[in-house]
Amino acid sequence: MQQEVDVAVIGSGPAGLAAAIKAKETGAGKVVVFERAERLGGLLDQCVHNGFGLLYFGEDLTGPQYRDRFIEKAMDLKVNTELESMVLDLSADHTMKVASSKRGYFSLKPKAIVLAMGCRERTRFAIGIPGTRPTGIYTAGQAQRFVNVEGFIPGKKIVILGSGDIGMIMARRLTLEGANVEAVVEILPYVGGLIRNEVQCIHDFEIPLFLRHTVSEIHGYPRIEAVTISEVDEKFNPIAGTERKIECDTLLLSVGLIPENELSLKAGVKLDPLVGGPIVDEIRQTNVSGIFAGGNAVHVHDLVDNVSWESEIAGASAAAFAKGAKLPSGKIKMRPGRNIRYVVPQTISGKEDVTLYMRVKEPENNARIKVGDVMTTKVKLAVKPSSMEKVDVSASELKRLKEGTEEIVVDCVTKEAA
Amino acid sequence: MSVHETEVLIIGGGVLGAAVARELSKYKVDVTLVEKEVDFGWGITKANAALVCQGMDCLTFRKEYYRSKLVWESIPMMEPLCKELDVPFKRIGQIAVFRDMGDIRPYSKVKARQEKWIPQMGSHQVLDKETLRNWEPNISRKFIGALYDPVMAITDPVKLNIALAENAEQNGVKTKLGTEVVGISPGVDEFEVQTNNGNIKSRFIVNAAGEQVDKIAAMVNADDFVVFPIKAQMWVLDKNVGGLVNHCVFAFVNDPPNMNLITPTVDGNLLIGVQLLLSDKRGDHSTSREAAERAIRYAQSLVPAISERDIIKSFASFILFRNLETGWHECIVRPSNSVPGLINVSIGFPGVSAAPATAKELVRLLSDQGLKLVDNPNFNPHRKDIPDFSELSNGEKNQLIVHDSRYAHVVCRCETVTEGEIVEAIKRIKAVGGLATVDGVKHRVRAGMGRCQSGFCRPRVISILANELGIPEEEVTMVGGKSRELLYKNKELLEEVNKIATGS
Repeated sequence: MQQEVDVAVIGSGPAGLAAAIKAKETGAGKVVVFERAERLGGLLDQCVHNGFGLLYFGEDLTGPQYRDRFIEKAMDLKVNTELESMVLDLSADHTMKVASSKRGYFSLKPKAIVLAMGCRERTRFAIGIPGTRPTGIYTAGQAQRFVNVEGFIPGKKIVILGSGDIGMIMARRLTLEGANVEAVVEILPYVGGLIRNEVQCIHDFEIPLFLRHTVSEIHGYPRIEAVTISEVDEKFNPIAGTERKIECDTLLLSVGLIPENELSLKAGVKLDPLVGGPIVDEIRQTNVSGIFAGGNAVHVHDLVDNVSWESEIAGASAAAFAKGAKLPSGKIKMRPGRNIRYVVPQTISGKEDVTLYMRVKEPENNARIKVGDVMTTKVKLAVKPSSMEKVDVSASELKRLKEGTEEIVVDCVTKEAA
Repeated sequence: MSVHETEVLIIGGGVLGAAVARELSKYKVDVTLVEKEVDFGWGITKANAALVCQGMDCLTFRKEYYRSKLVWESIPMMEPLCKELDVPFKRIGQIAVFRDMGDIRPYSKVKARQEKWIPQMGSHQVLDKETLRNWEPNISRKFIGALYDPVMAITDPVKLNIALAENAEQNGVKTKLGTEVVGISPGVDEFEVQTNNGNIKSRFIVNAAGEQVDKIAAMVNADDFVVFPIKAQMWVLDKNVGGLVNHCVFAFVNDPPNMNLITPTVDGNLLIGVQLLLSDKRGDHSTSREAAERAIRYAQSLVPAISERDIIKSFASFILFRNLETGWHECIVRPSNSVPGLINVSIGFPGVSAAPATAKELVRLLSDQGLKLVDNPNFNPHRKDIPDFSELSNGEKNQLIVHDSRYAHVVCRCETVTEGEIVEAIKRIKAVGGLATVDGVKHRVRAGMGRCQSGFCRPRVISILANELGIPEEEVTMVGGKSRELLYKNKELLEEVNKIATGS
């Protein structure tokens, strides 16, 4: 890299693009996006379904359309991009080591860095399904790439374990391609993804949905031939006597996403074990000075629109850091309380407007989110672990904080609980 | 189909078959190695604890057992062999932990025995509580000491297997992969062996068929031995917890023959197990939930920080015991009593560790049977592995990229495997007559072996394979045969549906 880099963004998915654009818009000099793949956009190229940008653009776009808007803007703003360039190492002093098919192996030391590596899918072994180890078992995202990018259908009798959004979308996609989706099997008593996907992808196509069930064994070798599914008890263990065997040539897994943070760890970035992503403050700075993070690398989102918005915060902060601007300080811990799985950001300054993102542990009706003694939201008809809750807290509300407050507990409260 | 003629036919391309092939290639002997799978090392070799060890039975060493002799002779040979063949080898040492002084007595006996019989292996050492804490801070406080075996090492058995086979092939051995022996007719001076790939005439047969060793012997009614298949299940943990132990850690369990073992691998993962089960369902390499739960419980009793969430892969294989009473102490490395020219070989456990000396022993047995051994003056003991991009220095990385830009294209992000490495792996599989597959690539360069278990790289590996093999992507397989990865092209199923709907 000839010229000094102000902001380096790792990853060019929706998070990386949004961060780079915002960094440029807020006055950063040289902004470089590093992308491992041959083109920009991360996984958006394989998300050919609609539902993107409803909040951000007020329009219903497909993944590639959503991506293209950001790419165009990035190009207009002269964001630099390095394709087929993988960041192999990162240290706390910002030294990055990159392997690039065009430039070879090189290192650079940007003033600020945005981690936007996205997330990866949980695998069969991460959830410990016993049985044989044949081919024909793919993650839903892998299948999505096969069908939507490469032009292949993995098989024609399909069982899908897990009801995450990609899994449900693939149930519809594969049905439209002429495959038979024999079952969608979900271990929880409710669907894991968005309600719109449950309706439009599962019920509209009359795909059998087995709630409180799991795949308890895989059969066949070298290609999968069947799975046994079983009902589960409260501890999610299969109940003996409830087994049923379903023939299939393909098993897709849509069993959750894990923020991708191997590079973050190399740089000494601390992760939140509840989330899997870096612990960040409200400007999305990690514990390592000048290293910021955004998007699914921080926590897994249900809507891409929020990914973009959150990463813009990281991009703007990185630009400010690169310019040497003073950033808000003060670290009040946001602690997940009753029925709250996690809160992002994990710390706030307590002086600025802030949007808190969180997920509940269990579905509840008529619930409010209570942010310490600062504020309580209006009643929400239903909260679900699959939908992220967003709570805006204003600086004036934060004035209610007592001097020296170190921690704010965030609770999900209902009438009964209150 | 023409008949292939050879002097020595080795049946089985596992680590033992490949080791004896390579040993024979030091001589001017016409050797053919057949393997039923399309690649090397897919049987017991790929599914074990990857240890170069004296046997986990260190407590019950028996000098009188032939197998112990082969293992002891092999261990000093292993490091130089791995060096010659550019195979990973790391001497990490083993720690057998104990909870009370009652436990220590048998350990002292081992120490004394080991020092008397195999002084070349270095001295075992008793570690006190404090030393144990310093060496292994993550081990449960319940353990008050340990017996330390400095000799224990780890390797990558499949890489060793592939290296032995590649080196044997370079030195003149013919390798026939995807070649399954279906029948053997003993003649006067030679065997006629039927395979799915034509017939082979051979003067000698080395039966190193692993899990199938007794079935091959039965084809010539040479069933003068019986085997008891023991299913062994193990689990691989994520590299994130790879640092929880520094040595191979072992503790006794109260339900033998199960073992409680936690060992680092050469790649930085941890392996836990081994859950053993007498099972006649050979070929069934499935793993069970109960065994996994037990293994995790055991592992946690050693290292409480281990969690089931750390599992990234499970696997199983069969160890063949000759005798259930003596367990793994007895092996078969001997000419058949009834069929001259046939030598059966089955170590049971630890087969990888015993391979170098067993190969030499087999050559000696063949010579006893009349095989003439004249030195091969062109024998080259060295073989280089595929460059491992992630392990190279910055300068070396750049050199490689300048030479071939595909080395800068990272395909597997968990393990940092580049397109250049994958293409080289495919080239090498072709060179030994194998079929390049997703698993073949994985075993050579680790693409898909990381924490995402090929979630990201599999579509890319499939497309590189299709490209290099000049086949459509739907014909790419995981392990050959019926293991096609992608069954249809887009719209192909709709055409089927339309045909049915329109009755055409």
